[in-house]
Amino acid sequence: MSTQPFVIEQSSAVKQNHQSQQPILEVDNLHVDFNLHTGTVSAVKGVSFNLHKGETLALVGESGSGKSVTSMSILQLLPNLVSHPKGQIRYDGLDLLRAEEKQLCRVRGDRIAMVFQEPMTSLNPLQTIEMQVAEVLIEHKAMTKQQAQPRVLELFELVGIPNPKARLKAYPHELSGGQRQRVMIAMALACEPDILIADEPTTALDVTIQAQIMELLKDLQDRFGMAILFITHDLGVVHHFADRVCVMRYGEIVEQGITTQVFNDPKHPYTRELLDSEPKGKKSAVSPSSPILLEAKDIRVEFPIRTGFFSRITDSVKAVNNISLKLREGQTLGIVGESGSGKSTLGKALLRLISSEGKIQFEDEAIDVKDMLEMRPLRRRMQVVFQDPFGSLSPRMTVAEVIAEGLKVHEPLFNARQRDQAVCQSLEEVDLDPALRNRYPHEFSGGQRQRIAIARAMVLKPKFLLLDEPTSALDRSVQVKVVELLRDLQKKHALTYLFISHDLAVVKALSDEVIVMQNGNVVEQGSAEQIFQNPKEIYTQQLLAAAFDLELVEEQPQLACV
Amino acid sequence: MFPYIIKRLLQSIPTLLIVITLSFFLMRLAPGGPFDGERKLPPEIEANLLAAYNMDQPLFMQFVDYLGGIAQGDFGPSFKYKDFSVSDLIWSGFPVSLELGMWAMLLAVILGVLIGCYAALHQNTRWDYLMMGGAMAGIAIPNFVMAPILTLVFGVYLSWLPVGGWNDGALSNKVLPILALALPQIAYIARMTRGSMIEVLGSHFIRTAKAKGLTATKVIQKHALKAALLPVVSYLGPATAGIITGSVVIEQIFGIPGIGRYFVQAALNRDYTLVMGTVVFYGGLIILFNLVVDIIYGLLDPQIRYEN
Repeated sequence: MSTQPFVIEQSSAVKQNHQSQQPILEVDNLHVDFNLHTGTVSAVKGVSFNLHKGETLALVGESGSGKSVTSMSILQLLPNLVSHPKGQIRYDGLDLLRAEEKQLCRVRGDRIAMVFQEPMTSLNPLQTIEMQVAEVLIEHKAMTKQQAQPRVLELFELVGIPNPKARLKAYPHELSGGQRQRVMIAMALACEPDILIADEPTTALDVTIQAQIMELLKDLQDRFGMAILFITHDLGVVHHFADRVCVMRYGEIVEQGITTQVFNDPKHPYTRELLDSEPKGKKSAVSPSSPILLEAKDIRVEFPIRTGFFSRITDSVKAVNNISLKLREGQTLGIVGESGSGKSTLGKALLRLISSEGKIQFEDEAIDVKDMLEMRPLRRRMQVVFQDPFGSLSPRMTVAEVIAEGLKVHEPLFNARQRDQAVCQSLEEVDLDPALRNRYPHEFSGGQRQRIAIARAMVLKPKFLLLDEPTSALDRSVQVKVVELLRDLQKKHALTYLFISHDLAVVKALSDEVIVMQNGNVVEQGSAEQIFQNPKEIYTQQLLAAAFDLELVEEQPQLACV
Repeated sequence: MFPYIIKRLLQSIPTLLIVITLSFFLMRLAPGGPFDGERKLPPEIEANLLAAYNMDQPLFMQFVDYLGGIAQGDFGPSFKYKDFSVSDLIWSGFPVSLELGMWAMLLAVILGVLIGCYAALHQNTRWDYLMMGGAMAGIAIPNFVMAPILTLVFGVYLSWLPVGGWNDGALSNKVLPILALALPQIAYIARMTRGSMIEVLGSHFIRTAKAKGLTATKVIQKHALKAALLPVVSYLGPATAGIITGSVVIEQIFGIPGIGRYFVQAALNRDYTLVMGTVVFYGGLIILFNLVVDIIYGLLDPQIRYEN
């Protein structure tokens, strides 16, 4: 039995002069139409670009720009209701848009491989990861499962899955998001493809892991000489990793060129707008004599782990471990951390949405002793805006109903006219046209929905707002506007914010004080200036490096295995 | 896994106890009794009978006695079939009911899944609409309507199959009752399979499977089918209950000597012990089958972990 049909070799000298070479993939005047029963929608209108051997080309754009649809067209992975009225995608003498299923199956996974945006759901939950990677080899290299195993092991080592031998029989749910994305990459590299298409491969991951995955891709590209087509909305990533860049908007490429040239001298106004869309500015300081609005001491939240025959509580997860904080009126406290750090749990505990231990004082009242019913009148002064603008507004209520619902509880004496007035006012405050108030949430874009969520909180005239990742689901340019809105509202109404986010750029633009959290503990706590200018702890430095300068991260050995 | 099974079995004891208590007292609340007939019995004979069956004691004591009997596996004597114990009757009817039920279940799963998959893969075509329309009718029409229609068409008009009777389990006698029993389940499973298959086909890991270069057939065989069948597997528990309650009616209509027919007749005769025995037996069966289904589900889906 031949157990090693091929061995991974270091390939070198891949970065030759692209221009002189024949391109490996040519996308020529690509059109993509979605044929819906309400009519035809053109998602991509005449996109053309070439990809050369060994280069990285980035397709950049915001949501709805057609960048993902373009990348999915290459391997023909779009649903049946899609048609390509015009254009060609040429690979190896084949027009992929018009190739037969059989020809496509030979290209997919073998010559052109793809890594997707959603590591959590892109693997089959019912199969071991070994089987899922081996399947590619069984399909394209005519191996048996036994023959494939050493190669799978080799791939797992290559993509940096810790203890790969023990992991072979693991199922996807036993791996973290970063590890799952590594498995996806292993799968894509199994047959050493000519082209790797990476569709937002790091968007769903934490910043430090993002940096590692990007470094991994870069490293693998240097070794195997494959071309990478990289789809992203994140200009920081593009700047570091792409040789050339295509900027997309409304299904068209508005600018195309060498990355450094595009970044240094953007020609198209939209490119300039994109490059400019980092949230800027700083929070103006609040006078130290401002009264304390919220004070918490030694907050602890534990989730019990039940095991055994009688479901005894045998252990607990300390989601929040002895955290104390103080918030003055008009201040913003930023809580920063990666997923699972306990930042959202802390936020919920402070608002008494979940039970916790430790003292919490809001205005003059100790609220940690109040039960849910006693908390109710206070809720008017402490409001929340959640992360997911798509899931957190009821799809069956009009915008006016959503906003007015809180008024019905807290202003029971308002008549319908007064309520309507208040709704219109709060919509104006978030720069939305009150005439739209009888529409349903699905008719609005993500940014508009987040404005609705803010209006819903603002209509009650709160003093304190918990903002739980309010900008994370939004495009950068929209983020900037929401950040500005939040800043204006704060100034106008002397609001106090507790701002939870993993996005350091946004936190930097909004916060007076910052708490950095990891595994339920405070890593570092201090003024925003101090944390961002002069971070003391290594973890904070890593977070900052990952967010603002990707290359520094790979030198940190303790983060190597995620 | 083993501690989990023990735990589930122990948890089923209170469930069974509630079933026993409710049916015991409900049965006694119903007017009439096992010894009421056309002619009133002489009081001394009735008193003797009641004493012989332990029914002269207060109701609560009877209940305690009955529980004690069940704990030892004794369902007591039948009131109507004087020479038989309830256990004898159940065991004589069970093989017939089991055979009927197993075939119906098998038919329901195989046909239901096939129809569901076909409809899902031809979504929004004429065949899809036809099959799902048929399935809707199958769910809507109760089996006590479906059974006479089947008998009328295949037994009376076409004379292909006998209209009833068991005939020692001849194949031709089994076809119609099995079909009548399975039809609503086929319909339900088909609709369910179609729904979950369509959902799975739109999921991200199916896109990954396509991107690997698998052919459409392999994508369905190796990735979509198993995931799509998970909800069907968890429906098998309720399906068992459905088939058991269905069999009570179907056995009566086709005159089949299974437990179901004993159950109906016992209820009409106020044969307290026989009714109770059947209820407890069926209750236990449903609990057991639900456990089996949960275990199978756990084997199929690695994300389900049974705490031990």
